[in-house]
Amino acid sequence: MDKHLYNLPDLESENGEWDERAHSRQGFLRLCFWSVTGLSLTAVGGGSVRFLLGHSLTAPAGEWIEVGALNELPPGQMHRVTYLLRTTDLWRKGELRGVLYAYSEDGSSYTVLSGTCTHLGCNVRWDDAQQQFACPCHLGLFSRQGEVLSGPPPKALNRLETRIENGKLLAFV
Amino acid sequence: MEVEHNKIDRISIPHRSRGIGSWVGAVWGWLDARTGLALPLRKFFTYPVPLYVHKNVLYSLGGVSLISLALQLFSGILMTFYYDPGISSAYDSVDYITYTLPAGWLVRGVHVYNASALVILLFLHLLRTYFMGAYKKPREITWMAGVLMLLVVLGFAFTGALLPWDQSGYWATKVGMEIAGSTPLAGTWIKRILQGGSILGQATLTRFYVLHVLLLPLGILSLVILHIHQLRYHGIAPAITEKGKRDSKKFVPFFPHWMTLDAMIGTALLILLIFVSWNWRAPLEFPADPTSADFIPRPQWYFLSLYQMLKYFPGPLEPVAAILLPGALIGGLLALPFIDRSEERRPWRRPLATALAIAVISAIVVLTVLATL
Repeated sequence: MDKHLYNLPDLESENGEWDERAHSRQGFLRLCFWSVTGLSLTAVGGGSVRFLLGHSLTAPAGEWIEVGALNELPPGQMHRVTYLLRTTDLWRKGELRGVLYAYSEDGSSYTVLSGTCTHLGCNVRWDDAQQQFACPCHLGLFSRQGEVLSGPPPKALNRLETRIENGKLLAFV
Repeated sequence: MEVEHNKIDRISIPHRSRGIGSWVGAVWGWLDARTGLALPLRKFFTYPVPLYVHKNVLYSLGGVSLISLALQLFSGILMTFYYDPGISSAYDSVDYITYTLPAGWLVRGVHVYNASALVILLFLHLLRTYFMGAYKKPREITWMAGVLMLLVVLGFAFTGALLPWDQSGYWATKVGMEIAGSTPLAGTWIKRILQGGSILGQATLTRFYVLHVLLLPLGILSLVILHIHQLRYHGIAPAITEKGKRDSKKFVPFFPHWMTLDAMIGTALLILLIFVSWNWRAPLEFPADPTSADFIPRPQWYFLSLYQMLKYFPGPLEPVAAILLPGALIGGLLALPFIDRSEERRPWRRPLATALAIAVISAIVVLTVLATL
C-alpha cells in the first residue's frame, strides 16, 4: 500500500495530535467501510432495480378477439373493425380500443391486418377507390395484403393469426 | 498555506499508482482544477474526531439516523413511481406495490418499518444530547434544528399514514383532524385548511401527498444541512468525564474511523428491516370506508401516549391533553438551551433536569403501555 494515500493533514498543535490508531487502522477500516457499504448498496441497488423494472419487461399475453360473424364479413370487400381489449395497466383494469382490417377472397380464409402503420404508429385508412391502405401521417401506402407500396414504412402491416369458430372469425391480438 | 496544500493534492493524487487508479486520479485532478472541491472534501473526510467520541457508540446515533433518513427518502422516491394519489386508486396502487410488484414488499416494508426505526433513533439521539447537556451554548441552533427534525419526522408519519387510503390511515387522520379542530378559537379554520375543505377527501389526500413527498423532504434536508454545518462549525461538545477528557487531545479521522462504525450499524439496520419486511408484510387494512362503524381507529405507536392521555381529559378539557401538554413539551424542548443556561453538563450534577427528563420518559412509556392494554 502506498503510504501517501493515508496522509492526514497536520493538526494545530494546541488542539492535540492524531492518535496512533488514526494511521495504523486506516487500511483495515477502509476495507471494513467499503465491505459493509458495498453490501448495503448492493442490497439497496438490487432491490431498487427489481422494483423499478416491475412488470415493464413482461410482454402482454395477447388475447383472441371476435372480429365478427362470417355472414357480416362478405368476401371481396375490406372490413374495418374496431375492437376492445381488456388490459391491466399496473393494477388498473381497463379497455384499449384498436382497429383492424379483415378481407377475404373466397369467404373461407381471411387476412386480418392490424390498422397500425409500421412507420410511427398512426392508424392507416383503407382507400376503396385506390384499393390500398394510406397512412395519413407520412403518406405510407400499403397493398390490400399489407405490403409496403411506397413511403417511409419499414415493413408490411402486422398480419394477425386467425381462426374460425362457430361461424365467427377470431383474431389474436 | 491552503493554496500550497491544494497544489500538493492536485499533483500527488494522479501519480499515486498506475493502471486504473491513475485514470481516476487524472479525472479527479481535472475536476479539482476546475471546481476546487478536493480540499473542502478532504477536510470534511479527514475531520479530526476526538478519541472519546470514537470510543463511544452513542455518538453514532446521529449518523445512523441520517442513514435511516436516507433510506426513507430513497424508498419513498421508489414508491412514487407506482403510487397514485387519488381516493379511488390510491388503495389499489398500494395493494399492488405490497402484494404484486416484484420487490414491492421490500420497498414498502423498509419504508413502513424504517419510519419507526427513525423515530426511535432520533428519540435516542435527543436523549443522549439532553443527558450530556450538549444543547448548551454555543450549540443552541444545532439542538433546535434537531428538535425540529423530530417534529418533521412526526409530520411525515402523520401525513404518510393517510396515503394508502385504507381504514387505519383514514380513521387515524380523521381523529387527528378532530384534535386539530378542537384547538380553542381557530380550531375549525385549522381543520379546514389541513383538510382542504369541510370533509376528509381528495383535497386532503392531495395536500398530505404534497406535504409528504415535497415540502417535508425539503424541510428536513434543509435542517440536516444546518444541523451538520453547526456540528462541524462548533465541533462536538467537549468530554464530560475525566476519562473522556484524557482522550480529548488525541484524534482519529472522520473517514474511515467514524464512518465505518456508522456504516456497519446502518448495514445491520438494513438487514433487520429486510428481515422484518420479509416476515411481516407492511400492514394494509381494508379500503377506507367513511360509513363503517366497526373500525376502531388507533394511531401509530409513537402517538399512542397522546391517544391515551386524551382519555383522562374528557369533554371541554380535551384541548389540554391534545394541544396544551404536547405544545408545552415541544416548546420546552425548543426553548431548553435558553431556560437551562448553566454551564454544568454532567447529568449527575444536574439532578433537576435529569429527574424531569426521566419523569417525562416514564410518563410516555406508561401511557404507551396503557394504550396497548
